[in-house]
Amino acid sequence: MIVTYNWLKQYMDLSDITPEELAERITDGGHEVESYHYQAYGTNLVIGKVLTCVAHPDSDHLHICTVDTGSDERQIVCGAPNVAAGQKVIVALPGCRLPGGEIKSGVVRGQQSDGMICALFELGVDKHYLTEQQLAGIEVLPEDAEVGNREVLKYLGLDDVIYEVSLTPNRADCYSMWAFGRDVGAILGKPVTIPDYRYQAKEQQANLKVSSLTDRCPYFYGKVINHVEIKPSPLWMQQALHAAGVKAINNVVDISNYVMLETGQPLHFYNLAKIPAREITVKTGLDEMYTALDGVQYHVREDDIMITTEGKAIGYAGIMGGDDSKIDDETTGIIIEAACFNLVNIRNTSRRLGLFTEAATRFAKGIDPLAAQKAVERSTQLLIELAGADGIEETVVYGQPDYQERKIETTARQINTLLGTEFTISQIYNVFETLDFHPVSRGEKITVTVPSYRYSDVKVWQDLSEEVIRILGYDNIVSTLPKMPTTQGALAKDGQEKRTIKQMLNGFGFDEAMTYSLVSQAKIDEGLLNIGQPVRIANAISEDRRYYRTSLLPSLMDVVSYNEARNQEEYGLFEIADVYSDDGRQASHLSLALSGKTTASKWQKQSVDNDFYTIKGIVLSLLDKLGYEANRIGFRRPERENEVLHPNKSAEITLDRNLIGIMGVSHPLLNKKYDIETCNLLELDLSAILERKKGKIRFTTINRYPAISYDLALVVREEVSGADIVNTIKKAGGSLLKNVEIFDVYRGSNIEEGYKSVAVAIDYQSAEKTLKESDVADIHADVLRQLSNKLQARLRD
Amino acid sequence: MSVNWEELRSQFEEQIASADSLNVIEQVRIDLLGKKGRISALMGQMKDVAKEQKKDFGMAVNSLKQATEKLLSEKVEQLKAQAISSQLKNESIDITLPEKKRHYGTLHPLTVVQQQLEDIFMQMGYEVWEGPEVELDFYNFERANIPADHPSRDMQDTFYVDVTRLLRTQTTAIQMRVLEAKASDLPIKVVCPGKVYRNDDDDATHSHQFIQMEGLVVGENITLGDLKGSLELIARSMFGKDRQIRLRQSYFPFTEPSLEIDVSCHICGGKGCPTCKNTGWIEILGAGMVHPHVLEMAGIDSTKYSGFAFGVGIERVAMLKYGIDDIRNFYTDNISFLETYKRFE
Repeated sequence: MIVTYNWLKQYMDLSDITPEELAERITDGGHEVESYHYQAYGTNLVIGKVLTCVAHPDSDHLHICTVDTGSDERQIVCGAPNVAAGQKVIVALPGCRLPGGEIKSGVVRGQQSDGMICALFELGVDKHYLTEQQLAGIEVLPEDAEVGNREVLKYLGLDDVIYEVSLTPNRADCYSMWAFGRDVGAILGKPVTIPDYRYQAKEQQANLKVSSLTDRCPYFYGKVINHVEIKPSPLWMQQALHAAGVKAINNVVDISNYVMLETGQPLHFYNLAKIPAREITVKTGLDEMYTALDGVQYHVREDDIMITTEGKAIGYAGIMGGDDSKIDDETTGIIIEAACFNLVNIRNTSRRLGLFTEAATRFAKGIDPLAAQKAVERSTQLLIELAGADGIEETVVYGQPDYQERKIETTARQINTLLGTEFTISQIYNVFETLDFHPVSRGEKITVTVPSYRYSDVKVWQDLSEEVIRILGYDNIVSTLPKMPTTQGALAKDGQEKRTIKQMLNGFGFDEAMTYSLVSQAKIDEGLLNIGQPVRIANAISEDRRYYRTSLLPSLMDVVSYNEARNQEEYGLFEIADVYSDDGRQASHLSLALSGKTTASKWQKQSVDNDFYTIKGIVLSLLDKLGYEANRIGFRRPERENEVLHPNKSAEITLDRNLIGIMGVSHPLLNKKYDIETCNLLELDLSAILERKKGKIRFTTINRYPAISYDLALVVREEVSGADIVNTIKKAGGSLLKNVEIFDVYRGSNIEEGYKSVAVAIDYQSAEKTLKESDVADIHADVLRQLSNKLQARLRD
Repeated sequence: MSVNWEELRSQFEEQIASADSLNVIEQVRIDLLGKKGRISALMGQMKDVAKEQKKDFGMAVNSLKQATEKLLSEKVEQLKAQAISSQLKNESIDITLPEKKRHYGTLHPLTVVQQQLEDIFMQMGYEVWEGPEVELDFYNFERANIPADHPSRDMQDTFYVDVTRLLRTQTTAIQMRVLEAKASDLPIKVVCPGKVYRNDDDDATHSHQFIQMEGLVVGENITLGDLKGSLELIARSMFGKDRQIRLRQSYFPFTEPSLEIDVSCHICGGKGCPTCKNTGWIEILGAGMVHPHVLEMAGIDSTKYSGFAFGVGIERVAMLKYGIDDIRNFYTDNISFLETYKRFE
């Protein structure tokens, strides 16, 4: 909200506080001054009179002027097309600092120039408020401007300081300058005088009928003024409005805006001639086209609150009046509207139409329930004073505000206990008094009456404690620590496990990524380990962010693609994040991507080729660390083919036969889609893993006896897997079998087509004695028999 | 038979000394001490020596043999040492050539900050609580004292799923769940980190997704002074032991009074610099005393118990700590950006 120094100065004595200090004090009091600036700026300015003005001999647009500045006559070269002898003008003397820089004496095309004749925008006046004429040339002052006057900004009414204040939502009352003024008075500890808005006029009986057919307009004040005279409003009002960022139009419109700024109550004035029925009805449920006073046609929807007469819309309630009934130069009588409209409706309509008017802003944040009456009276007073208002009818009122005077009781002890302070009763009492809370003190108790404009904010004694501390200052709070039983800190569920996984992956060289949770339909379709149907955002920013993701890998692919495009061809990346399903399930997932190669040393030509088995190693190592032994983990071919993983280099991962993840080498189509080299991918469902029982650490005696080892070279059909061979040996080998390890897989000469040779090392070991070959002969023979029977494996010659 | 022992000895010495490799010295050994060597030959002459001289002759041969053996073994040791040193010399490398890369990965900078904060709080006895990101309007707004027509719903543009569900806009939603869960198990001392979402366009300072961490303490006689003291400790753990904090009036529907907390600038120490926009202070936390209505809604007697709550943006802390100027960096995951934060701090 915009607040100006001069406006506040009307209500209190600010002679002992600079505009800069004021900004600081207001911020400390709880209303953050985000920025402030002088309305216009210029040192060493003076009002002068142009005595002579002739064309510059060496220029087609410059003029040579002699200017009387009161104390001297000087020559100034001026380029403005409108400069002429006899004009009163603003002169910037040499040494003058303007927003554009410093003015110096000099020679312009051979002619001495000792200063500058100024346009208003050269003093930093916002171009928004200037006419085309003012933008095109120098400012020509009225005849009666006093030559030699050095208080030029004050003379122009441009000596104001404009504050941009950020109001918290509970302090919407401060959209009223009267309420804000009171608050500033309390912050500064100064008495505040708000204008007296009573007026003397004999009022006629009202001819107007106002009503509402919707509960979204609880009350409506209407008042007919049969005669007004349209003319420009006085300079002080124009200047006040300009400073507050409102364009001055004419006296009547300006009064409606000025009173809105004063009281916080949005007003609308209708051209009386355009409402011959003298009937105004508020309703919803319209569906028609309507032209507002900005000249734009809007489509009225059912939920929009509309002001109507004779069934015809004449205003978007609380947002913008209609073009038909607007105040123009021909207007001779008006109807004043001061009403209240439901803030949610106003908010929705104004957002839909993109109309964030001063009125809509105030309604959307909530208004003082008693402001309507004040605003009608203040407007009438000013209309009488400034627009020759006559034929004033009595105010008619529909409905009434939902308001009852609120009293709150508290004690100094109660407030001090919450704040941890030691304020005296009288300190606290004074705060309430300066805030106009009318405190009454009886014994320990202080009872306050909440002003109507603070009605929606101040409800309980805790609210009063906030008033006390913000006015008396937060510096009064002494730091302490909570006195309570000692508690033990702990991470959230699975928190320690997630930290462990991250640390391990960091150790394996993987960097942690973090990506957006909201994704497109295409990303949802690309997911492999989806938790379920996606949660759909009704009001998404764009289709790219329509769904909450159901798996993580598709997001990580963007990271891979981004980095590869920036010549980061070797990478290890992972992310841990939650996924959600529309039916309410939630799980933590891990996604991981690893480039096809990791180089250790270029000049030594040492690099590692990463493949399916690299990821398999990472998975087994992670799971082992978390307490899940390799014998509980399974790898199986994915049931369905997809365009993410290579169909023959990918696997589903199981733990105790439950699906916990998917992994593999990237599919050529995926590589093409993301413009990346072949890489290795993994997604794990961490929640599904961590809900399984973890293995415990148990001590086992270190075996003192040596093992007997056999190497077998087996020839088997291609479709026999490594796991088939290992499992067959394990099953036949019994308790003496300690270890089975495949150490070579060979295809080629001496091995017929469709077959491969698999070399296996088998260790037998006993915990009781040193084994002799004869001890294991039977078992080993059985191993060979089973390999032959079950897998048709034969020993290689 | 007369032998010039002295001459022989010096011949042998010279022969051994002149050997310059292990091969040569082996030849010398065979020549002098071998079965057919010169000392064996001298031994063979024994039979021709006069009886009375045999003893002297024998002693002289033995003495020569021992001396020769000693010299030989010394020479062998010397040559072996020489061989090793020359081998080492030949194996010399250029130690300035590049290393074999041992790549240690990095945590995401937001994780680094979040874990640091979690650790600070856990040391102070706080439990970490999490909650769902797809949240009910009930916990995100209603319970937080933000009914449907509340103006502050305007402050947080919300992603809605349907009438009852939304993406949480604040980790306050977790606090509301904690209050409900622990209403009959007081006191409460928790921090609640998590992702939150706002329907905002992404730019250098806004992100539709970001991470918040809120803290909540509820018990008997908890005061605003306790809040100030706790946050002072936390500000100092995060930004250095000389930090001061400043409280300013603010507004949150779920706290009363509500505060903004500024921390004295960790870059300039409060003198004024671009980071603190020349104010000496950096706005970093929102906080306040839990609103009595919020306690009552969760089933906690607000006349007996009070509490404080505070919240901080993880991105904001990370940006301040590391001088990051664009919030989007966190979600682009440029590897060279990420790896800036691998160092232990």
